[in-house]
Amino acid sequence: MSAYRAPALRLLGRLPTVLWLTVMWAVLWGDFSPGTLVAGAMVGAGCYAAAKLPHLPVRLRFRPLRVAGLVGHIALDLLLSSVHMAYHTLLHPARVRGAIVAVPLRTDSDLLMAMVSAGLSLVTGSQTIELDREGGVIYVHGIPIHDESDVPKLRRSVLRTEEMYVRAFGTRDDIAQFEAAERELAGAGAAAEEER
Amino acid sequence: MTATDWATAVLMPLGALFALTGTIGMVRFPTLLGRMHASTKPDTVALVLILAGAAFQLPDLRSALPLALVAVFQFMTMPVLAQTLGRVAYSRGMVVSEHLVTDELADDLAKREAEEGRAAEDPRRAEAP
Amino acid sequence: MNVLDYAMAATAAMLSVSAGLALYRLVRGPSVLDRTVSLSTVSVLLVSFIGLEIAYRGDTAYIGVMVSIALLGFIATLTAARFAERRAHDRD
Repeated sequence: MSAYRAPALRLLGRLPTVLWLTVMWAVLWGDFSPGTLVAGAMVGAGCYAAAKLPHLPVRLRFRPLRVAGLVGHIALDLLLSSVHMAYHTLLHPARVRGAIVAVPLRTDSDLLMAMVSAGLSLVTGSQTIELDREGGVIYVHGIPIHDESDVPKLRRSVLRTEEMYVRAFGTRDDIAQFEAAERELAGAGAAAEEER
Repeated sequence: MTATDWATAVLMPLGALFALTGTIGMVRFPTLLGRMHASTKPDTVALVLILAGAAFQLPDLRSALPLALVAVFQFMTMPVLAQTLGRVAYSRGMVVSEHLVTDELADDLAKREAEEGRAAEDPRRAEAP
Repeated sequence: MNVLDYAMAATAAMLSVSAGLALYRLVRGPSVLDRTVSLSTVSVLLVSFIGLEIAYRGDTAYIGVMVSIALLGFIATLTAARFAERRAHDRD
């Protein structure tokens, strides 16, 4: 972590945000000439400095194949569950029930947790209600849930989503930590499932 | 009718259909969370399909880029909205327990309050303001 | 009129009905959050309408309006939700 304190590296860490703002600027102008890009970079850097955003060290890896798989999974999930939801909407909305489940996450990275939580809120039929950072527990509302037998299904889909995000974006340490936590939870999880 | 026209002719009504079912759900669902599920996400699907349909009518790829930007905005902002609305809905006690099969958040909150030695008060107040 | 025109007319009709239903929920409520949800829906529908307009004209003259409405809708919805949250805390 201390490496991120060095000013040069900190500046480097901010570069992606400014780069993204510059690209947005160029797209909005519909013009990729050098003048536009320089002006965009200046405006982006100015806005970034003025906003005084807290600087979080971004420790992520980007695995193109896994990310492509994740994007495909999200797109398909979004489409299929929207159709599913439309079916319930048209037939019997009053009978549709949901459930809020507590799922202990296996990853310990703040950024990955935020991504998992956003990813769950992105697809139809599941939505993060609360994220308990200290306990590493995510509370997800799922719909439609017909009875108790659907609850483990929701829990499993949350865990699968988490695994996909960790494997797509986590650093090697994140993945190692994730796998260790998974082994640890595998024993405890079965007992907890029984209890519930 | 060219191939791109056909693509638009399929994508746009399909997107509008998603928007329509989503808003029908928003009117028909009895609970707030149900309405949120029924409308916010199918709306996103609808918007992306309509933008894709519109992109096929544009002369080149560069003029279609801003449309992609709007889609990316939607994908970035929608989870934030859904999460904020979900949290606020729950903390205001507007999640009706009779429409839930289980509510493990309420269980955990009750447990936490009991541990802190306070009177175990139901976090979901029955009468929503 | 060819198939594309019919498709666009159908899209416009469905989006209009959707907007009407969303406005019904906006008026009916019953809570601030219901209205907030329908507000975000209305803003997404507006953006969709501009998408239809862009497809109809085949040029992107309205793209700035589209981006502005998308961003304003997001900020308005988020502000309304946060406002509702704060008011709930004040009451406690």
